[in-house]
Amino acid sequence: MNKRFGPPSVLLAIAAGAMLGTLLRYSINAAAFDSIFPFGTLMENWSGSALLGALTGFFAIFTVREWISAGLGVGLCGGYTTFSTLVSDTVLLGSALSPLYIAAYILPTIVGGIAFAWAGFAGGQRLGRKLRSSEEGRRL
Amino acid sequence: MIVLLMIGGAAGAVCRYLLGKWIDYRFADPPFPTAMLTVNILGSAGLGLFLALFYGYVPGDAYEDPLFLTAAVGFFGAFTTFSTFSMESFRLIERKAYKPLILYVTLSVIGSFAAFLLFYLPFL
Repeated sequence: MNKRFGPPSVLLAIAAGAMLGTLLRYSINAAAFDSIFPFGTLMENWSGSALLGALTGFFAIFTVREWISAGLGVGLCGGYTTFSTLVSDTVLLGSALSPLYIAAYILPTIVGGIAFAWAGFAGGQRLGRKLRSSEEGRRL
Repeated sequence: MIVLLMIGGAAGAVCRYLLGKWIDYRFADPPFPTAMLTVNILGSAGLGLFLALFYGYVPGDAYEDPLFLTAAVGFFGAFTTFSTFSMESFRLIERKAYKPLILYVTLSVIGSFAAFLLFYLPFL
């Protein structure tokens, strides 16, 4: 079990990260709940994609322990962003899947999410390289 | 109530991680990211079924309802994920794997909507 699923510290970190991510998502949704357009979920999915991109880019250069990257990526970003609410909001709020609603909500969510992940990844890599070279500089 | 919401979210994320690991283990080297595709479709189906059985709609006082917060916002909200979907799509673009990209994005969106409706409408 441990070999396949990783040590318990990883699961604990994911649970803790998801608690924080879910709380953040709830708080933003609660603040934006009155609107018929799910601005809250859109903001969460965009910013969460940017953050996961940044973390992935950063950890690709600057490796950390698995529980740290899993807690922040799988737990925090995963719990903060959501796909099921996107679907239920579209069906239940979006007057039965009207093309306008899809164009105004689904498309920007997806295209923006990928673009934010991209930008985040590039930024995270740059930061990782900067930190690594300054650390190497200190060692020299 | 906030504690229940957070526990629901933690359970959802841990389930996502374990199921994802298991899928990656069973189906190594898929042409496009299968694990999170499956998770998002399953989670949308689960949310549809839950909403149909317990509410039939999103209740107006949803954010004061402990069951809705724990299951819909907490568990299913955190079980499914968008950030990994974005990241995996970007990775496919990076590798110029455009066919898998289109397949992945289309299946994620259409599949999640179809799964939600399939488990929502009949159980209203």
